[in-house]
Amino acid sequence: MSTDTNPTTSPATDPATAKGTPGTGAGERVRKGMRPDRQEPTLPTLGTVGMLRWGWRQLTSMRTALFLLLLLSIAAVPGSIFPQRNIDAGRVADYIAQNPTSSPWLDKLGFFDVYASPWFSAIYLLLFVSLVGCIVPRTKVHLSALRSTPPRAPARLQRLDEHAEVTTTLAPDEALAAARAVLKRKRFRLHSHDATSVSAESGYLRETGNLLFHLALTGIIIGMAVGHLLGWRGDIILAEGDKFASSAGTYNTISPGPWVDTETLPPFVLSLDKLHVEFNETPGRSFGTPRLFDAQTTLQSSPGAPASSENVSVNHPITVDGADIFLLGNGYTPVITVRDAKGAVLYREATPFLPQDGNYRSVGVIKVPSASPKQLGFTGFFLPTAEPTFTNGPVSIFPDTNNPEVALSVWEGNLFPGGAPQSVYTLNTDEMKQVTKADGSPTLIRLKPGQTYQLPGDRGSITFDSVKRFAGLSVRTDPGAPISLVSAILATLGLILGLTIKRRRVFVRVRPAGSGAAAGGSTPDGGLDSPAGADGRPATVVTIGGLSKDSDPGLAAIVTAIAAGVPDRLAERTDRS
Amino acid sequence: MNLAANANAALYASMIVYTLAMLAFTWHLAARAPTVADSLATAGAVANEREGVLVGAGAPAPSERRSATPYAAGPGFEESIKSRQRGSIALMLTYLASALLVASVLMRGLAVGRPPWGNMFEFATAAAAAVGAAYSVLAKRNNWQWLGVFIVTPILLVLGLALTVLYTEAGELMPALKSYWLGIHVSVAFLAVAFFTLAFAIGLLYLVRLRREEKPPAKPSFIESLPSSASLERTAYSLNMVAFILWTFTLIAGAIWAKQAWGAYWQWDPKEVWTFVIWTVYAAYMHGRATAGVDHRKSTYIALAGYVAVIINFTLVNLVSTFVGMHNYSGM
Ligand code: HEM
Repeated sequence: MSTDTNPTTSPATDPATAKGTPGTGAGERVRKGMRPDRQEPTLPTLGTVGMLRWGWRQLTSMRTALFLLLLLSIAAVPGSIFPQRNIDAGRVADYIAQNPTSSPWLDKLGFFDVYASPWFSAIYLLLFVSLVGCIVPRTKVHLSALRSTPPRAPARLQRLDEHAEVTTTLAPDEALAAARAVLKRKRFRLHSHDATSVSAESGYLRETGNLLFHLALTGIIIGMAVGHLLGWRGDIILAEGDKFASSAGTYNTISPGPWVDTETLPPFVLSLDKLHVEFNETPGRSFGTPRLFDAQTTLQSSPGAPASSENVSVNHPITVDGADIFLLGNGYTPVITVRDAKGAVLYREATPFLPQDGNYRSVGVIKVPSASPKQLGFTGFFLPTAEPTFTNGPVSIFPDTNNPEVALSVWEGNLFPGGAPQSVYTLNTDEMKQVTKADGSPTLIRLKPGQTYQLPGDRGSITFDSVKRFAGLSVRTDPGAPISLVSAILATLGLILGLTIKRRRVFVRVRPAGSGAAAGGSTPDGGLDSPAGADGRPATVVTIGGLSKDSDPGLAAIVTAIAAGVPDRLAERTDRS
Repeated sequence: MNLAANANAALYASMIVYTLAMLAFTWHLAARAPTVADSLATAGAVANEREGVLVGAGAPAPSERRSATPYAAGPGFEESIKSRQRGSIALMLTYLASALLVASVLMRGLAVGRPPWGNMFEFATAAAAAVGAAYSVLAKRNNWQWLGVFIVTPILLVLGLALTVLYTEAGELMPALKSYWLGIHVSVAFLAVAFFTLAFAIGLLYLVRLRREEKPPAKPSFIESLPSSASLERTAYSLNMVAFILWTFTLIAGAIWAKQAWGAYWQWDPKEVWTFVIWTVYAAYMHGRATAGVDHRKSTYIALAGYVAVIINFTLVNLVSTFVGMHNYSGM
């Protein structure tokens, strides 16, 4: 694991191993190729514990993290190519119908539920484990690094990435004090291991930031898990003028998390007074694109509670009892009346038809179980602006109700074969027959608002009374979201600290001028007592060396600042005297 | 003339000026190459001389030996006055063109009374403007005249495509986009893309430069006048780092907005998937960069793959129907 906090061992900063030395790479390749008697390295026997340790170390290594990150990114891609059940189950069904050979396999391998598939989960769980396994030891190492002192200055400061040597008139201890002052100002942590040198280190916040970042990533994941376990969502289709009382049974669909008690959903009551919708009517490319959706509602936090008027629109949810109510869809509910042969009303309802395209060509079903002698079912389209000729079948050419029409076919028989529950938007025709006209052709009904169609035989009539809009509302809670949000913000902060702060070490060593020490050689002890250069003659040689963990243009500036800081003191002193 | 028409006029004007800048940058590179040949000839001679001395004096330190090899010496390259002048002209033209492009985007924004990135056409122009602006701000300070062609040419391509294929009349926004998050989330995304783009161009040049350092070509070209491969790689890393931070912010801002607009901050819609893919690939790059034993060439490959994902995210994911999700605002 390359979590080494010691900058000196990072090969990236070691000039001797820097790439770009011509010949080195090629030479190595040749050598490898020529070695005829390459032996398998003999591994020491590890034993079970050893193997586990070894596996753990592999899993928590940075290379593994790198590999898993790449794998995760590749694994995420199929979910954007194949339709996903969690986004649009209908498209998945279409896809499967269109690709009968490949889709069973794809389905088995989880390509339609990528983000819940075992392989995707395996990757992110491994990454999560690796992450935790990485953070814990690194935190320990970092905590002790925070308490440690900067190491002793290496013998040859000239070898470091950045170095400088200046001669000053200050006495050695004064020069060292001046250097310390500069380093202090630059927020270095200082320590002198001996009287002639100072070691300085800064940038502990880099590792702190890095750890914060990785820790916060786990926070995001925890937030997501909490949301999954304790969150729930329910969807409702609500026609204008209708009222909805929230409880587990009243939602069209409800998906509670595993730990949610559906008896404790907030009991609010919501009625849709009006849905304002606007579409672009100027001809051109964006003709017919939506411009405004705004649901005007009346909300009570519980039955009998005071009512307030609220607007729900896209991007502007309302909140009640910790649940957010979103406007996510809309469409039309034709109000349709079915009468029997004597004129008695068998069915009168605003029936939602679900939009299929941008022009709201919508499909829906009317089920009339009380019809006799056989149950009746109608299935077909609602077209807000019907293309009048129907040459290409029932098509809508604009999303608003400029020329509304319903086009239905009629079926009779048993609506609910076997009594099994079924969707209100599909007609199960297993035990039904299409109603035909006298000449045997299927009955096709086209109605504009106010029109009535007499069904063939003595089956009664169907009337298209009017059309109302419906709002598709979604009620959601996600108690994990705040955890994820706070973690995400902390992660960004940590990332900025971890990437922009540089971990640096700077060493300064002084020796009396003319003490004869070779450049970079060790300083003879006791040289400090030589007379200070009060008379203006050079007295001290100051050697400065700096190291950084990575590319660090700022390091040179620091070394220069220290070099400049030493004579500066002299200038100041002369000024004062 | 109304604002939208002015915006279009400025767009055309910027394309003309960018074309001139592109030519000037090419002209500048042409002036660099022969100079390299000259300075290398002299550098080579000096190096030989020094080598002789050093061999006599004992084994040379590795770093000294490195600077003595021809072609490796980016910093030692003396730019001729001619090439410097051409570089300045090209930069001036780029400043002008970028200013025109940014003005065009701003005017379009004023014309429609919202952030000017509501459809693919606006998206492409705004992204190009971000790249142009980022380059213009950084070029002079870093002596990036050599990078100009590699930035200006793609900008021109994108603008050309935007006008011919993606053009959409200035119009109102779809309801889902009517949120101040559009301004925040998308503008930061553009800025990130601008930095990714600069880093990508430099990353490619790094690979070429590195290759030629390892196997010196018979005839030097402008490549040999660039900073050393190590220095190019560091620059690309720094730019990628800034871009990665911005992209992290984009991701988070997008999630917050998604929560507001769609009720869930993350639901693996194709645009979200690709934003995430980009993020993980660049996170892998950051790791590779920091892992001892993974060389910088390999990490650079990862970064280049990340950029491919950026391009896919801004093109295919917006336009191709296989990627249909909730982000269908291309206006196409
Ligand atoms: C969830 C997966 C992970 C992501 C998204 C991720 C992301 C990142 C990023 C973006 C950086 C660069 C930022 C910085 O230096 O502060 C980084 C650095 C680092 N990561 Fe991770 N990481 C992940 C998992 C891990 C794991 C499992 C390990 C343990 C082996 C690890 C160890 C490190 C180390 C040691 C650095 C510091 C490199 C340096 O000193 O510059 N990361 N990570």
